[in-house]
Amino acid sequence: MYDLAIIGGGPAGYTAAERAGAKGLSVILFEKTELGGVCLNEGCIPSKTLLYAAKLYENARNASKYGITIKGTSYDFMKMMARKNKIVKNLVGAVGTKMKHYQVEVVRAAAAIQGRFPEGIKIETDNNTFIAKNLLICTGSEAVIPPIKGLDKSSDIILTNREILALERVPESLVIIGGGVVGIEFACLFNSLGTKVTVIELLDKILGEMDAEISSHLQENLRKRSVIFHLSSKVLEIKKDEVIFEKDKNRHNIRAEKILLSIGRRPVTEGFGLENLGVELLRGGIKVDRKMQTNIPNVYAAGDVTGFSLLAHTAYREGEVVINNLTGKKDHMRYNAIPAVVYTFPEVSSVGLTEKLASDKGIKYKLAKLPMTYAGRFMAENEGENGLCKILIGEKYGEILGVHMIGSPSSEIIYGAAMAIENEMTLEELKEVIFPHPTVSEIFKEVIFSF
Amino acid sequence: MAVAVIMPRQGQSVESCIIHTIYKSIGDKVEKGEMIFDYETDKASFEETAPESGTILAIFFEPGDEVPVLTNVLVIGQPGEHFEEFIPGNRKTTAHATEKNAPIKTPGEEEKTDTVVEETISAQTGKDQQFISPRARKIADKKGIDTSALTGSGPGGRIIERDILLAIERGNRLTPLARKRAANQNVSSPGIGSGLAGAITSADLKEKGMEGDNSFEIVPLSNIRKIIAHAMHQSLQNSAQLTHHLSADARRLLTLRQEVKTRMSKGAFANITINDLVCLAVVRILKKYSQVNAHFLSDNLKKFKRVNLGVAIDTERGLMVPAVCNADLYSIGELSAAIKSLTDACRKGSVNPDVLSPEAASFTVSNLGNYGVEMFTPIINLPQVAILGVNTIVPRPKDIGNGVYGFVPHIGLSLTYDHRAIDGSEATRFLKDTATEIENLEVEL
Repeated sequence: MYDLAIIGGGPAGYTAAERAGAKGLSVILFEKTELGGVCLNEGCIPSKTLLYAAKLYENARNASKYGITIKGTSYDFMKMMARKNKIVKNLVGAVGTKMKHYQVEVVRAAAAIQGRFPEGIKIETDNNTFIAKNLLICTGSEAVIPPIKGLDKSSDIILTNREILALERVPESLVIIGGGVVGIEFACLFNSLGTKVTVIELLDKILGEMDAEISSHLQENLRKRSVIFHLSSKVLEIKKDEVIFEKDKNRHNIRAEKILLSIGRRPVTEGFGLENLGVELLRGGIKVDRKMQTNIPNVYAAGDVTGFSLLAHTAYREGEVVINNLTGKKDHMRYNAIPAVVYTFPEVSSVGLTEKLASDKGIKYKLAKLPMTYAGRFMAENEGENGLCKILIGEKYGEILGVHMIGSPSSEIIYGAAMAIENEMTLEELKEVIFPHPTVSEIFKEVIFSF
Repeated sequence: MAVAVIMPRQGQSVESCIIHTIYKSIGDKVEKGEMIFDYETDKASFEETAPESGTILAIFFEPGDEVPVLTNVLVIGQPGEHFEEFIPGNRKTTAHATEKNAPIKTPGEEEKTDTVVEETISAQTGKDQQFISPRARKIADKKGIDTSALTGSGPGGRIIERDILLAIERGNRLTPLARKRAANQNVSSPGIGSGLAGAITSADLKEKGMEGDNSFEIVPLSNIRKIIAHAMHQSLQNSAQLTHHLSADARRLLTLRQEVKTRMSKGAFANITINDLVCLAVVRILKKYSQVNAHFLSDNLKKFKRVNLGVAIDTERGLMVPAVCNADLYSIGELSAAIKSLTDACRKGSVNPDVLSPEAASFTVSNLGNYGVEMFTPIINLPQVAILGVNTIVPRPKDIGNGVYGFVPHIGLSLTYDHRAIDGSEATRFLKDTATEIENLEVEL
């Protein structure tokens, strides 16, 4: 009997497996496709690899701003894709190596939960039966296919993140349905590779719940670079390569070579015998407490399958919480300081409360914001660009409630804000922190002192 | 040279005592050996006498104050001498003080850290004052423990050394926000919080007392309550007690009571109650059951030659059980008078403490008849062997002859006995005999 069985080898699953193996538990991991999950194979890693290449290309094309002449810039998409594939393969391989190193038994097959028995939790694959004392479910999430009339998933034209990352050539035109983080990142990517990009979004803003002011900054930036946006627009029908949508009570249509569906993701809770356990679901995901326990003893869930915070870094930590508690170290999840990054260029990063969330919760706050140009290095390395850094603090004691930024490389700075929030630091302590000069991170200090 | 009189330390585990009465005022003359104040721990009370003759220069506390041991309570010296060096902590002396100089600490005072010399605190709580002993403060500073939101376990909520040690053990660490909130509001913090690695966050702090809607109030227990609580608990834990119930035909009692009332209306004074009559019956039967009129002492049974009857009295401050010594020598009139006088003394607070001890009585009677209780399971006052609970008079059906049943007043008798000392049959015989005596009671009123 194994101490722990894990279904799903994505970020939550392989991190938990690694921690458990390191602590001496006997672990068996079931993965029916590739280790690394969506993150490594069809999400984070491939998209960021391509985005970087696209950014380099865009920078090269605009290098004359910096006094550099580059003649004849061009790109080779297949080479980009090949490189992306190589990186993905390397990282997937690295996960496999880690699993071996920590003596995690990996079964490359689809798992089917049989249920809880006196002897333990029984899981079957095609050929074998396995028993484990504890079960951790990390089956992740899948792209939501909207119930739009005429939507034929098997058509070549309709893509989700999986297919778009496997394209063999850059489309001439692309309609992106859903202006959330995923949609906007692909909009930025393909726009800089020359695709004519149109984004259709149901809400009146892009990037979902992210800060409104910063979202509109990014939208304006992309618009200036030729991306077309249709907000408050609802897609009514898809006829082959034509998207029919309603905006301001009018019907519009637009044709494109490819159509990307990126309206969101939902937890995968079917197809692996979950119903044989009787775990409680919540809003489509597996319901868990702060210790990632489900209602069934010895059964846990972590990562996208909980439907709570669909981010790989949350999944890592959730997996760790499970293993900590299983091995005698008290631990629980906190969700108040999970950073979110949009890897467009310019980058958008945020952590903590937005103004809207704070108002909705009745939390009194004070706000300060400054353009990124207040940081010398930003000006030096982002010719002609501007950005914004916005900080919310508690009204009475000045504790950091939220930080929102647009401007590169905010993704590498935001963790500092996350630490400040987790530690409940106030203005008083932050004022004494020394930031290196000259860096873009100094904008943080500038805003702190502007309160 | 003025001297301070300190609160003595009665025993290793005693941290503080409560001052009961202070017999002198500031300015009074006192002789060596004269009693100046008395104080109590939860077990006993003591008297403190003057170590030398002189005048009372200062008194730092009031009756009812809980004073940590080894703290200066008052100062005796010659009129005009300085006493400021004896002032405990920063506390200003009472308004009657003749001098008002800045407190000067003698050089030796700060260094006293090997003994448990803890500076005293004032009776009120001020938000800006951190109530913490110097020893605890030293350790807290050394270990970097934030004390601003610690709840102290010392007298008056003061933080003492063990609180700091516990905080260190538990990893007490407040976030900057939590610290600010704690300094600003009256909150208490847990040992471990929900923040990073157990850090205590603002959300972990709880407002002291107020839970939003004032749904409760914390009331400290009085000394007498604590003593009763301890005694009752000990009795149940350390004995094998059980209760038998039986009722006695109460008609004789009622007849006698009626006669008393008639005599009183004609001018007699003695108000002999039902309880007095029952007590008399009990005393008579106890003479025949020496093993019930006894104390159980683990290896021995202490059989009393006389009956010292404990009578349970309900007072404002709590339950008291004074003993009527040699009750078997009394007539009904004398017994009634003795019980009455003890009841008054208890209610006034002037009862001789010696008769309150459970060792003083050989048997106890507890009457709840006035309250309508029909049956209960009284708790024995160890080391006594038994206790008789007397209940109210209720009508019960009884065969009154020729197969006819009528309702006859009966008085319930609940005897709790310690099975370690006597067995059930014995206890029952005693109880039955008592009931029979009650039913056939002959007295000279």
